[in-house]
Amino acid sequence: MSLAPVEQEVTATEEVVSPDLPWVTLVWNDPVNLMSYVTWVFETYFGYPRPKAEKLMMDVHVKGKAVVSSGPRESMERDAEALQGYGLWATFEKDE
Amino acid sequence: MARAFLPDGRRFVALLDEGERAMLSGLMEQTRVILSPEIEPTGDAFADVVASMGLSLAAQDQRTEVDTDADAAHEQHADDSVDGAAGRGGDGSDDGAEALGDDLTDRDPALDRLLPTAHRGDDQVAAEFRRLTEEGLRQRKSANLDVALERLAAAYDDRVELDAEQAPRFLMALTDVRLLLAERMGMRTEEDAEALHAAMEVISDEDPLGYAMAWYDFMTWLQETLTSALMGEPFDRDLADDEDDDAADDEDDGGRQV
Repeated sequence: MSLAPVEQEVTATEEVVSPDLPWVTLVWNDPVNLMSYVTWVFETYFGYPRPKAEKLMMDVHVKGKAVVSSGPRESMERDAEALQGYGLWATFEKDE
Repeated sequence: MARAFLPDGRRFVALLDEGERAMLSGLMEQTRVILSPEIEPTGDAFADVVASMGLSLAAQDQRTEVDTDADAAHEQHADDSVDGAAGRGGDGSDDGAEALGDDLTDRDPALDRLLPTAHRGDDQVAAEFRRLTEEGLRQRKSANLDVALERLAAAYDDRVELDAEQAPRFLMALTDVRLLLAERMGMRTEEDAEALHAAMEVISDEDPLGYAMAWYDFMTWLQETLTSALMGEPFDRDLADDEDDDAADDEDDGGRQV
């Protein structure tokens, strides 16, 4: 990604408004992972209650992806790594 | 006949016969090899996994031609694999190695599913994440497979027993094996999965692709039941018994994919 001067200015402006712009962890749909298993992973790793875990799982299933956690970059990297350990297709990125 | 994982006191117990345990072990060992950083790819990727399932490669050349997108995807992939001609019957003449991106050009595509890119859109961030996490992920996934292999080897009277600590590891091991097998079959999208299941209607279990698909569905069923048991869901008799003597092939044996 190029950091043209214009983009840098935009970033700087946003940082004034929100100094701790959070990052997010995403889980993407795939044809292998089971609905029940994905729900179990969200419960087990995040400690989410069943309804929240199921809603996130359905978002992945229906919308193709879901934001499953947000926070500082280091935490999102940790979450993505852990979810990949479970075999989920997890990524992290800066929240838009 | 296999019986699903069910709670048994504080443990989870499945009944898997010798052939089923041997098949699972072979696939788990193959997955573990691929996750080992020092491994060198030696031949055609799909042929390798089929060979590990105890099926002769000769049968692959005889397999029924089924023209599906998934099948085409598999063929395309097979041609893309490193040294893809080594295990194939003289038809690997085209040199179709496609760049997967920078230093991952020669990387086994299955690794992109087992250890996927963690940042879409910023290759530098993705590469840095990979550098920091990949070795640890490989080790943890390998350790899960070791636990699963040990439990399969320790079965007596066909009983495969897992304690509360081993059960999640067994689940993760099954996931990684299914990810590998899916990649080898060219199942990368929902459409691929549908095409493969549709192809199952017209090809036999003797066909390598049909054979692989049947065992894929068997592992799906096994994973579904163990997940249900871990989540404390009520025992479902219909789901608990595998209807077939060999690999499961009924669609309702499999769980619903995300």
